[in-house]
Amino acid sequence: MKSDIELNINGTAKKIFVEQSKRLLDVLRENFLLTGTKEGCSIGECGACTVVLDGEAVNSCLILIGQCGGSEIITIEGLEKDGKLHELQKQFIDKGAIQCGFCTPGMAMSAYALLLKNNNPGIEEIKEAIEGNLCRCTGYKPIIDAVHSAVKELNDS
Amino acid sequence: MKKDFKYVGKSTPRQDAFEKVTGQAKFTDDYYFPGMLHAVMVRTKSSHAKILNVDYTRLLASAENIIVCDHNDIIGSKKVGPIKKDQPIFCYDKIVTPGDVVCMLVGGDIQELLQSRELVDIDLEELPVLTEPLKALDIDSPIIHSENGNNLINHYPLRKGNVEKGFSESDHIIEQHYSTQLIEHAYLEPEAVIAIPLEGKKGIKILGSIQNPHTTRKVVASVLGLPLTKVRAVQAEIGGSFGGKDDTMNILAARAAVAALKTGKPVKIKFGREESIVESYKRHPYNLHYKVGFTKDGLLKAMKIDITADGGAYSSMSPFVTWRTVVQATGPYQVENVCTDVKAVYTNNPYTGAMRGFGSPQPIFAQESLMDEIADILGKSPLEIRELNGFKAGSITASGQKLVDHDINLITVLNEAAIKSEFDKKWQLHRKNKKIKNFQIEENNNFLLSHNEFVEPNETIQKGIGLAVSYRGCSLGAEGIDAAAAYMSVQQDGSVYLISGLAENGQGLKTTFSIIAAEVLGISPDHIQYLEQDTGIVPDSGPTVASRSTLMGGGAVKNAAEILKSRLKEIVLNFWNVKNTEEIIFTENEILLRGDETKRVSFQEICSLAYSKGVNLAVIGWYKGPNVHWDEETGQGSAYFTYVYGCQVAEVSVNVATGEVYIDKITAVHDAGKVINKLGALGQVYGGVTQGAGYALWEEISSFDGKIKEDNFDQYLIPTSRDIGEIEPHFIEGEDIYGAWGAKSLGEPTLELTAAAISNAIKNATGKRFFNLPINLEEVLLNRKLKPTDLKRGSTN
Amino acid sequence: MIPEMIIKNPSSVEEVLQILSNHRTKNKIIAGGTDIIPGFHINSPRFTGIDVLVDINGIKEISQIIELDSYFSIGSSVTFSHLQASSLVREKLPVLYEAASGIGNKQIRNRATIAGNFINNAPCADSVPALLVYDAQVVVKSIENESIVSLQDFLEFPYKTILKNDEIITEIRIPKKNAHLLGSFYKLGRRRAVAISRISLAVLGSVENGIFTDFRLASGAITPIGMRFKEIESFILGKGIDRDLLKEVAVKTGSKILEVTGLRWSTPHKLPVLQKTLYQLLVNNFLENDEK
Repeated sequence: MKSDIELNINGTAKKIFVEQSKRLLDVLRENFLLTGTKEGCSIGECGACTVVLDGEAVNSCLILIGQCGGSEIITIEGLEKDGKLHELQKQFIDKGAIQCGFCTPGMAMSAYALLLKNNNPGIEEIKEAIEGNLCRCTGYKPIIDAVHSAVKELNDS
Repeated sequence: MKKDFKYVGKSTPRQDAFEKVTGQAKFTDDYYFPGMLHAVMVRTKSSHAKILNVDYTRLLASAENIIVCDHNDIIGSKKVGPIKKDQPIFCYDKIVTPGDVVCMLVGGDIQELLQSRELVDIDLEELPVLTEPLKALDIDSPIIHSENGNNLINHYPLRKGNVEKGFSESDHIIEQHYSTQLIEHAYLEPEAVIAIPLEGKKGIKILGSIQNPHTTRKVVASVLGLPLTKVRAVQAEIGGSFGGKDDTMNILAARAAVAALKTGKPVKIKFGREESIVESYKRHPYNLHYKVGFTKDGLLKAMKIDITADGGAYSSMSPFVTWRTVVQATGPYQVENVCTDVKAVYTNNPYTGAMRGFGSPQPIFAQESLMDEIADILGKSPLEIRELNGFKAGSITASGQKLVDHDINLITVLNEAAIKSEFDKKWQLHRKNKKIKNFQIEENNNFLLSHNEFVEPNETIQKGIGLAVSYRGCSLGAEGIDAAAAYMSVQQDGSVYLISGLAENGQGLKTTFSIIAAEVLGISPDHIQYLEQDTGIVPDSGPTVASRSTLMGGGAVKNAAEILKSRLKEIVLNFWNVKNTEEIIFTENEILLRGDETKRVSFQEICSLAYSKGVNLAVIGWYKGPNVHWDEETGQGSAYFTYVYGCQVAEVSVNVATGEVYIDKITAVHDAGKVINKLGALGQVYGGVTQGAGYALWEEISSFDGKIKEDNFDQYLIPTSRDIGEIEPHFIEGEDIYGAWGAKSLGEPTLELTAAAISNAIKNATGKRFFNLPINLEEVLLNRKLKPTDLKRGSTN
Repeated sequence: MIPEMIIKNPSSVEEVLQILSNHRTKNKIIAGGTDIIPGFHINSPRFTGIDVLVDINGIKEISQIIELDSYFSIGSSVTFSHLQASSLVREKLPVLYEAASGIGNKQIRNRATIAGNFINNAPCADSVPALLVYDAQVVVKSIENESIVSLQDFLEFPYKTILKNDEIITEIRIPKKNAHLLGSFYKLGRRRAVAISRISLAVLGSVENGIFTDFRLASGAITPIGMRFKEIESFILGKGIDRDLLKEVAVKTGSKILEVTGLRWSTPHKLPVLQKTLYQLLVNNFLENDEK
């Protein structure tokens, strides 16, 4: 059934009239044209669709929009602020954490969610935060380095 | 001459990183076109059947908005394939594997299309199913493609010396059988393509997650019966490929194109993960039989090798994949007498084709296991046996090729890896010649342990170290024509367009090529705008495969940049009225005259001047590899014009109670020639090693009568961030005369060694050798695989 | 493919029960959705024909972890991340903490709920063995009734529990007298992270003067549903702890499992490994501690 749903996406209040059982992933991609969020498996195993929902990393393929009323959602498109890249994004670029780039948005959002909760995570905590984000290109090492460097940069500044 | 590089060899962030990290990069499914339709595939549940009748009556009666496309809509080739044309775009006579597609439903509403699939009535006559490649050539086996006469896709013999004589001169002869499994590329982005009909008689545009746009163009044109110029294939951002987005994508592009021309509208095909795994091709499972003779000193005298590769239902790249196998089957060792036979056969299994490694990980697993066994028999270390037999300058390969013209760095990489990992010390320390107590599960009927069969907690983790080496022929070799093009156009403001005929698949080619061009022209790489891959603007440069892009495409980019540079030099010569072009230096976006500090002009100014003088600053660079040759009858010849060398050392912890293997560390030493982008090269190693580890320990597509169980990432397990400890890459930069400053190949070498090194490490840790990949929980403890008896899933059931 | 459904977002248990009491529609509670939505995706017959999904994420009264006089109350919609983050759980219910930490991946743990895990009742549901050794009880409510049942009785068959369509679980109760016991959770997967359990085990007990004064053992993944091993538990009570006893417990457990499951394709690996890992788990939890 279609209904009105109000939510906040990347800091902006939105209201849409949409089929309630549509997945959050599809709403972001199709209704809001936020195509940075990717679909890789549809069952919550690959993490390519990860967004931050009320402060937590979630698989947007496993959430129906009818469950999201009143929520705050941050997608990869919301990381850049005032034309400035988030430190995580800068480090992803500098450390070679990106190859094909398909896992990158989800990966970055998992890392972002980690930093929301923990401003000084260690390597093991970083690995845990991205365990649900599969990457087939990078072997994870440059991604872990990037998150680790971002933590240092953010804490130093 | 040692050259000082400004950009080459440094770490340069990717050109496309900004778009990718902000979510702006557009992958195929991120595109939408007005009026665009979707298409869904109709498959059967059969692995082998004759198609008696396909009836759309029920479908057409209930779903008037749906358009059906099947083989009747194809004007040109109904079957395609890179070598043998045996794969139908839409099946019409037979089903030969469960991924097969009979027809496609096209419409605006995906849900409706999906639900309507069951309205297509397909009448089948089931045929006996062949899943055992070793039975494929038996007289009573079902024939998969009757036009082929039998199930043999290809057979490559290689004969060098006289193996019987070699065995008679040997002090020891050992024989071993190895097997490797079917695995999936598991690129994170499933297949997606859009076909867009162009106005009037312009033909069609294909936009997709395509590894080789020029191949796609060729296939689509042949299916549509159009000239090549009427099909324009453009690459969207591609979410990984690893060799996997070739044949499958070409066929999907052809299907979408057929539908687009039939409907007059853009048509998108987008696979979900299950569909991706079910229809796409995979890595060949191999059965390998090795017989090796050697002297008491460890010198290899003879090798007799028999290999059967499961090509699955279609030939795809099997002839090329297995050709690399026949060339490299003895490994990087000089062996006087060699007799190798490599066959690829048809079965009803999922078809197999190109995948990163391409016919090398399988024989490397066998031959590197074997080298350790020989060392063991003779009481030598893995290093000694390899140093003794390994290729050196002037060594002769199994195909009779003398290794010259480049640094033959096999022993160098071996020693470097041994030093960096402290191999010898650790290997001696962990070495276990005796069986570990209660490790192997002795299978009895009641499965219950007696009290002396337990493992104490402090004995449960056993550590080990192992290594593997390889050599790898660069680029296509005698597989095919080997040349590449690059188009470069300098604008009047000094900014530069660059594109090569090879494709960005995520590996970082755009950045690598930009660095090469920047180095030659003395401009910053960010002055170079790399264009999107488009068959309409750049010549066919062969496929982006075989780790050939840096070597071949890099050579072409360098050539283009050098042509431009010489044209610009002419301008500068006149501008300053000097004679000797040797003294003109391009550096840091400026042009200088050696020894005269007053002569300094910006790159931009000279470009502007050239433009005003009507100088052509757009060029096509070209690079053609030296000729190679191959004798199909004897398997002799100069297979590849140059080679790379690698050594990986694996350190593992084996839980002897459970069969778990954890990879503590991989030290990877590669001579890929000159490294162009350090950041990109490191990324290749990290990624390749991680894929290699998955191949060693976890990944396997098991099939029941050809049907796949592991059709999503809950069942098909690739490594996560927590599965591998440390990866430590090192580069040895051997000098070579080919390509751009001797930059060669790295993508595949990083993956091909890992499984063999891990297996040898497990042997070192436990005293037990493994012959069958993957070395999963059951293999470790039982020396066999246990297979579920049904296709049920885990938590969602 | 997600079917079209009505999604309701009640803000109280009362409201949920009202919705569930409407028998004209097929209603299903959804919390994390991490089993239901993949189930929709593969057209699982377990999740077809649903008219109304009742989303219980917004109900505060069932999303808390509270310590009461005689028991810990864990709200049914408490997520695994919440369990992981709770110092109460980590300190007082370590077996549950360990089980929660190994479930799925971060994103899954952020959504998946404790009750959802055992209501789905997959053999590999990791919360089950952990809750069973703590003698967890579940509070089941319908518009007319409220009952408290033991988790073991609540679980019926694989993928099936006694929960009726008009009922909801509101909380899980864990008796506080279990909080002082030693124990741990063990899981064997094919991968280090994000792995479906092939074997899961939970042990809990106490040893005084070298003698077992309390002991509980539960399994998951290797049995059709998570289960306790009462015969073995009583066998061990009062016995002096030594390696032979622990081996005997492991073999008896293996024997019981074989009796329950019969021979499966995985038995040649799982059963010996189960015995070996159970033995090690017991040594690590009870023997080594005792020897210290």
